[in-house]
Amino acid sequence: MTGESISVNKIRDILLVTVPADPDDETINLLQEKILQAMERTEVRGLILDISTVETLDSFFARTIIETAQMVRLMGGRTVVAGMRASVAITATQLGLVFGDLRTALDVDRALDMLRDAPSRR
Amino acid sequence: MERNKVNRVDIASEGDILEVRKTVRNESADLGFGPTDITRIVTAASELARNVFRFAGCGTMLCTRVFGDGHNGLELVFADQGPGIENIDQAMERGFTTGGGLGLGLPGTKRLMDQMEIVSAPGQGTRVTVVKWLNSKAA
Repeated sequence: MTGESISVNKIRDILLVTVPADPDDETINLLQEKILQAMERTEVRGLILDISTVETLDSFFARTIIETAQMVRLMGGRTVVAGMRASVAITATQLGLVFGDLRTALDVDRALDMLRDAPSRR
Repeated sequence: MERNKVNRVDIASEGDILEVRKTVRNESADLGFGPTDITRIVTAASELARNVFRFAGCGTMLCTRVFGDGHNGLELVFADQGPGIENIDQAMERGFTTGGGLGLGLPGTKRLMDQMEIVSAPGQGTRVTVVKWLNSKAA
């Protein structure tokens, strides 16, 4: 899975990123970089990370997601992680991953609802 | 314990961690593990492969189908010639880290698998063996 396959889409005032199913470390780092660049360039109020195709969330990947959410927060935006699979939720919990106050939603639809009320960065 | 069909993956770059995950995913799916166990095994493999790369720079993974006590299982052996682990008990404590990680790697990995054995000493490299049994009581 190479960096070429990442797309950060702006839909109205939300960034929607569909995380590739099995990204390597380089792709995960690139993902963070692209998101922060888009946050700087646009006036979106938040970010949705769609991880519904992700089958493996190891500690490196999870840490990058948590850090990205914090960076987006520092830039005045909100992040919602959407679509975590049951097997991934079970594994992440048993592995001991702690997501803190990271906001999550069952799917992108509900994530959009959650971000609708987020404050604008304008 | 019977052993057959060994898959070997050399770990020398971050990209090889992906190769480890692919190999382990295919093997555990072929063996008949369900989606949650496959995710557990692949995640454990990813943690251990990253440890090899981060601490030793390079090493190998052997992925072997095993049969013992009436059950099929998958055994993963991660071996490197790196600095080794000074205090294995300490390395197994949650939150302990020397590598700037979350300190979840080894204790977290143990919870995802049925068996785990670490053989290591300073300067002697590290060998971590994990096994997941099909239809195990822990599943």
